[in-house]
Amino acid sequence: MLELSDIFVSFRSAHVLNGISCSVRGGETVGVIGPNGSGKTTLFNCISGFAPCRKGTITLRGERIDHLEPYLRAQRGLGRVFQNFGIFREMSLLENIQLALESRRDTSAGFLPWSKRTRETIERSMTFLKDVGLDGKAREKASSLSGGQMRLLEIVRTLALGSDLFLLDEPTAGVSPRMKEDIAQSIRNLQSMGKTVLIIEHDITFIQKFCDRIVVLEEGRVVLDDTPERVRSDERLQEIYFGRDDRSARP
Amino acid sequence: MTNMIEILTSDYGVHLAILVSLYLILAQSLNLTVGLGQLFNLAHVASYAVGAYATALLSTEHSASFTVCVAVSISLCAAFATLLGAISLRLTTDYFAIGTLAFSAVVSALLINWKSVTHGVLGIPGIPRPELLGIDFYDNGNFLALIGIFAVITQAILYCLYNSPCGRSLRALAEFERAAASLGKNTRRTRNIAFCVSSAFAGLAGSFFSYYLNYIDPSSFGLGEMVFILTIVIVGSPGSFGGVIGATLFLVLLPEPLRFLDISSTYLGPMRQLLHALILFGVVWWKRDKLFPQRRTV
Repeated sequence: MLELSDIFVSFRSAHVLNGISCSVRGGETVGVIGPNGSGKTTLFNCISGFAPCRKGTITLRGERIDHLEPYLRAQRGLGRVFQNFGIFREMSLLENIQLALESRRDTSAGFLPWSKRTRETIERSMTFLKDVGLDGKAREKASSLSGGQMRLLEIVRTLALGSDLFLLDEPTAGVSPRMKEDIAQSIRNLQSMGKTVLIIEHDITFIQKFCDRIVVLEEGRVVLDDTPERVRSDERLQEIYFGRDDRSARP
Repeated sequence: MTNMIEILTSDYGVHLAILVSLYLILAQSLNLTVGLGQLFNLAHVASYAVGAYATALLSTEHSASFTVCVAVSISLCAAFATLLGAISLRLTTDYFAIGTLAFSAVVSALLINWKSVTHGVLGIPGIPRPELLGIDFYDNGNFLALIGIFAVITQAILYCLYNSPCGRSLRALAEFERAAASLGKNTRRTRNIAFCVSSAFAGLAGSFFSYYLNYIDPSSFGLGEMVFILTIVIVGSPGSFGGVIGATLFLVLLPEPLRFLDISSTYLGPMRQLLHALILFGVVWWKRDKLFPQRRTV
């Protein structure tokens, strides 16, 4: 599905990603963890086209996408959920979903607000909102939503776009514990639909519930890439997060 | 009350209605870029000038018909915007404003100095009123009907555009460009379309301006005019369709009562400008958080 090979990303003199290689199979759910500054979000930005790679290739379903602009990558099925909420707060919930549907090749968007095609898009948008229980607020501004609801809206919007690869950047950040379960449920829904999901998350106990694999990054390199159980029990994970135990080196 | 009706049906009332129609076209089309797209477009008045001069030159020197003049003015402005957009839309925020302002200054300089074509500061006199279906458009009432129809059509088209997929994309990318791109929106193309459509309508307004005044010169297309159109959009709340219509009526008609006061015309002009400046300052101060929102990035 997604193949990353020897990816290097740098901003001026700062080398953020230093040769990342990783492959994700279709329908797989992969967690990406690592301490702050390890390059997790930059990796997602690089896959979505917002951070140019200096070296390396990215292939999506066998097609090279590293030279494509972000919108072309999105049209090829790459869906992105942003860390700091990528919804349009000044627009209604309905318009947020409409925007996604209107980008689809199978939707012919209408110019006139009262045209049949526009009405059809609105109806389809409502079904997406109903799925996450936000249809009651369809006409309200998205800024009126809570953090968790915003995240749900963003996930369902990416689903409306027709993406089959989801990049979720810290989906539970800024979300109440009660809403966390709703988000977990929507991730499970994505899995049951056969979507491929990549999740950045700090809470390893949260993602190990549904991840097939966990990739651990440190200083822009893949340190571990294994099943959640093996990654959790690996000593290197403790070292990355809590530092090396240097007691033996003391005099 | 009877006085009001008299004023409204008099030549003066018709003149005001024509001005309102003209500014409705100009301000609502600027609202597309400045309001919806949050592109601080200061080249709108340049498009207005290009449209006006195209109509003036075609109708005086080539005796071109109304349809040809309007069509050429619109197409020329769309082409002008495509060229300008190709260069300036690579710039963002304040740099875009400076880029478009520079372009405006270039057009202004051309109008003054390219004397063989534009007649420089002397301007172009003797622009005939349109000839269409045998109606006498030298009668201001008829001319009002014509410009009124075009103003209504413009508002209708722009209303649909604001609520169309393209308008939505434009609003989305103004709020959070990366999120719009990750929804498959071609941000550059969307901005270009908005810029082109906005400029084309400015060209239409320019064309009517030439026809109405029968005489144009570069002084009508200066920075002052740009600031006035921008004031309408800002007072009407950028991006708000109804707000801009209301602000056009308010700002075009507001200084008119000053005429009836016993003030010499030496002071009247500056007083109107002062009034506009005060309103602009007040609105910008009052709505500063909404007018200059923080742009969101990843």
